[in-house]
Amino acid sequence: MTAVTHYFKNVVDSVKTTLIGLGITGKYLLQKPITVQYPDERLPIPNRYRGIHYLEQEKCIDCLACARACPIDCIEMDAVRHGKELEWISFTLDYQKCMFCELCVYPCPKDCIHMGTEFAFVSYDRSEFVHDLLSYRGMARDAKVRMVEAEKKKKAKEEAKKAKEGAQAAVVAEAADDEGEEASSEDA
Amino acid sequence: MLTFDPAIGFSSAVLAVQSAESGLKDGFGTNAIQDFLVGVKPEYVPAWAVPLTAIGIAIGIVLAIVSVLAMFSTWLERKVSGHIQCRFGPMRVGWHGWLQPLADGVKLLLKEDMIPLGADRTLYVIAPALVLASLLGAMAAFPLTETFYFANFGLGIFMILALTSTTTIGVVMAGWSSNSKWSLYGAMREAAQVVAYEIPLGISLLVPIMVAGSFNLIEVSQGQGGGYGILNWNIWPWVNPFMLPAFVLFFVAILAETKRAPFDLPEAESELVAGFMTEYSGIRWSFFFMEEYAAMFLYCVVGSFFFFGGFESPVTSLAESVGGTNSLLHQLGAASTIVLKGFAGVFLMMWLRWTLPRVRIDQVMTMGYKYLTPLALVCVLGAGLWEAFIAPHLWWRS
Amino acid sequence: MSTTKTYEPSISRTEGRPLAGGEREYMIDVRTQDMEVNMGPQHPATHGVMRVLVRADGELITGAQPHLGYLHRCAEKIGESVEWLQYLPYTDRYDYLAAMNNNLGYSMAVEKLMGIEIPRRAMMLRTLCAELNRIGSHLIAIGTYGLDIGAFTPFLYMFREREWMMALFEKICGARLTYSYIRIGGVFNDAPPGWLSEVEAFCDTFEVKWREYYDLLIQNHIFVKRTADIGVITREMALDFGLTGPMLRGSAIDWDLRRDTPYELYDEICKDKAFEIPLASGEKGTLGDCWDRAWVRAMEMMESIKIVRWCLDKIEPGPVIGDIPKTLRIPPGEAYVGIENPRGELGHYVVSDGGKIAVRCRVRGPSFVNLAVLEELMPGALLADTIAIIGSTDIVVGETDR
Repeated sequence: MTAVTHYFKNVVDSVKTTLIGLGITGKYLLQKPITVQYPDERLPIPNRYRGIHYLEQEKCIDCLACARACPIDCIEMDAVRHGKELEWISFTLDYQKCMFCELCVYPCPKDCIHMGTEFAFVSYDRSEFVHDLLSYRGMARDAKVRMVEAEKKKKAKEEAKKAKEGAQAAVVAEAADDEGEEASSEDA
Repeated sequence: MLTFDPAIGFSSAVLAVQSAESGLKDGFGTNAIQDFLVGVKPEYVPAWAVPLTAIGIAIGIVLAIVSVLAMFSTWLERKVSGHIQCRFGPMRVGWHGWLQPLADGVKLLLKEDMIPLGADRTLYVIAPALVLASLLGAMAAFPLTETFYFANFGLGIFMILALTSTTTIGVVMAGWSSNSKWSLYGAMREAAQVVAYEIPLGISLLVPIMVAGSFNLIEVSQGQGGGYGILNWNIWPWVNPFMLPAFVLFFVAILAETKRAPFDLPEAESELVAGFMTEYSGIRWSFFFMEEYAAMFLYCVVGSFFFFGGFESPVTSLAESVGGTNSLLHQLGAASTIVLKGFAGVFLMMWLRWTLPRVRIDQVMTMGYKYLTPLALVCVLGAGLWEAFIAPHLWWRS
Repeated sequence: MSTTKTYEPSISRTEGRPLAGGEREYMIDVRTQDMEVNMGPQHPATHGVMRVLVRADGELITGAQPHLGYLHRCAEKIGESVEWLQYLPYTDRYDYLAAMNNNLGYSMAVEKLMGIEIPRRAMMLRTLCAELNRIGSHLIAIGTYGLDIGAFTPFLYMFREREWMMALFEKICGARLTYSYIRIGGVFNDAPPGWLSEVEAFCDTFEVKWREYYDLLIQNHIFVKRTADIGVITREMALDFGLTGPMLRGSAIDWDLRRDTPYELYDEICKDKAFEIPLASGEKGTLGDCWDRAWVRAMEMMESIKIVRWCLDKIEPGPVIGDIPKTLRIPPGEAYVGIENPRGELGHYVVSDGGKIAVRCRVRGPSFVNLAVLEELMPGALLADTIAIIGSTDIVVGETDR
């Protein structure tokens, strides 16, 4: 290519590609924008979205499987066991650390911790990022009822057992008395 | 906080010269203001205060025009760039964000005015004012209608070119005084670029000047009258076939002069952070910003005067036939025509900016010296030959 | 500016002393000294927090030295202190633009140690996601490259398509950037119903839009002039510096791990000749310049679309994860797996002693290796070219520093 053709090829190329570019951008200038005005309109969030967790507290058995699975140890839970029932003290997730990897969800034996579709979590205070997942503290009402009933049952059972044992003991004692009497009579 | 003083001083000097030179022309401007002031002047006001007040009022009007232009241009730029990029741009403040520039202006006024420790304070403070002042001076030569202007003198276009190219001094001053390497790079690039592109800019403007036979903006516009306000524009090939290439060269040159992409090397945000205005903040930064947009508009207006008929458009000719020459209707038509033409040019500059990548400094120089300048000279030669030998035989050019 | 200008240190004629580095004597008593400019760590065009110490003679660069470590996050050490599966989310984070590929590389390395079989559908989904992510990564690479050169609009157009790709990933795994989708033994979730047809719609649209990017950016005359003949990597240089990925193929060396050391389903795909490996030819300038590398990336996106279409064609229902225990105990041994990341060879070297935690977890990051060539390319370029060269290496600082 001689220098002269190179010179004019440069001119022609730059004008041509500029016009092509202007055509493409001009086409989009006339089209409707694809963005949405965020707080007013929102894009749909898919079901599998990995947002802020929520906990089905009724199902949870305080097994610590999720806390063990967490790579950064941001889950902490504390509960007191009353027989089968749980008295909840805390179940916190530190969102300063959490990286939303969903590894805590899979090992759950009761399938009770999930990731929700909420993602906006704003605060002026860092301490608020330690998020409490509990919907109630202490014991659920039906759990209390269940516990009372269970205790009643247990007590009744124990009493029944005691009564039974008492009866048995009485029988045994009578038998022993009889034997003793017999023995004493034999002795005599 | 505001540093308008050098700006006012500089442009008042310019305007004083102008009003002295152009005192003979009729029309609205400093003279009209002065006449009005003489009429209402109380006895105790000394006579020398009248021209000074008139100049002050004129500067105020120019400053207001420049600010409004800059504000509207920023809004337009953000909307154009947004829609080109499939997004909305500003949408919150007012209808489609039209009050956004106002909000930005308030923000810029309230921002902390920072001067870097190692900076040369005097130069650092003067630089943005100087940049804006040279543009304000140039704006004075912009006629809004055929009878509404501040200064109208024979070599109008030279006055505009001369004053707008002095912005370079301010930019170099800003870059040097900021004591930042990026700023220095930006300033040096600006100096090299503007010097290189003054040449093709001036030469390509010679083509319409040759056709019109005048340097005066209003006379050039009047020379393109008739033909339903559109057929006698200089740009048409039947007027002069070398006009269209000359316009393309002129447009490329004004892109470089106003530091617009693809020639935005002095501020090249991906290379030099923000170039010569890296260290500036707040209102001083906004002076550079206003200068850029006002310069864009001014150059586009110059382009429309010399290539696209100036005040002449179907609207103007219709208004003239209805209301007669110099009627209010005609004036309104002329003013809206020139403002619309100016913004059409600004829009084209924005469209180009959001389409093209940036060129490199050696390519800028190559383009200026090896491509634009020779091609502009060829245009001048061709146009001259056309004017000398062919145009006299064309019945529509008689 | 392809000629490399070197300055020999010389003796000052007036003072008789040797001139310092970067100092030059032009006339008897006119001496100049190079300006040292810190490009980064806070600079718009260093792709994160990389710092390049540039010595410049005006606009001309006489020396450049990249400095790393501003984004060091101990990724490898973390790998040696958390359990095997727990390390998976961390792999997302070193090359955050191609998280799927990172997941894939790590999972494959662990699977190699375990010696387990992956269900076919899982492999299909892995290949599909990795290729989709390659498209997304190259979109960023070319888009930000355009941004470095000064073209803002193509960048946002490419973000639009990448956004679609991220929405697809959001539907399948719930995250937009740090996917953690490909896991040891398969993938976490099966594709939701209708997802595969959405991927097909994405492919159809992308092919149309790709043409626009090609015309708007890659073929633009200013872009060509800015990138052609700049930062030329010769074939020898490419081999000497151990470059991989598009950087290598930009110098016309035919090497792609997907074909040459096939993993997952790539041997089948190669047998079907479903994709080819684009090689630069020095069309617009010298072979191995920045334009060639950008072109290779652009063409690779279309090849990835072909692979995605192949997967969509062949995918069958089935399980997506093998029989993997909840707590992994990996048999003792060591394994190295290198896969073709969008940026080059991403290698994972893992050592196990039979416990729950890796003894060594080493990552060979392609960005880190590709970065080394910068120092060689920069001298002799102009200041604006340094940006073009950094952009053409397409580094992700998260990966160079890890």
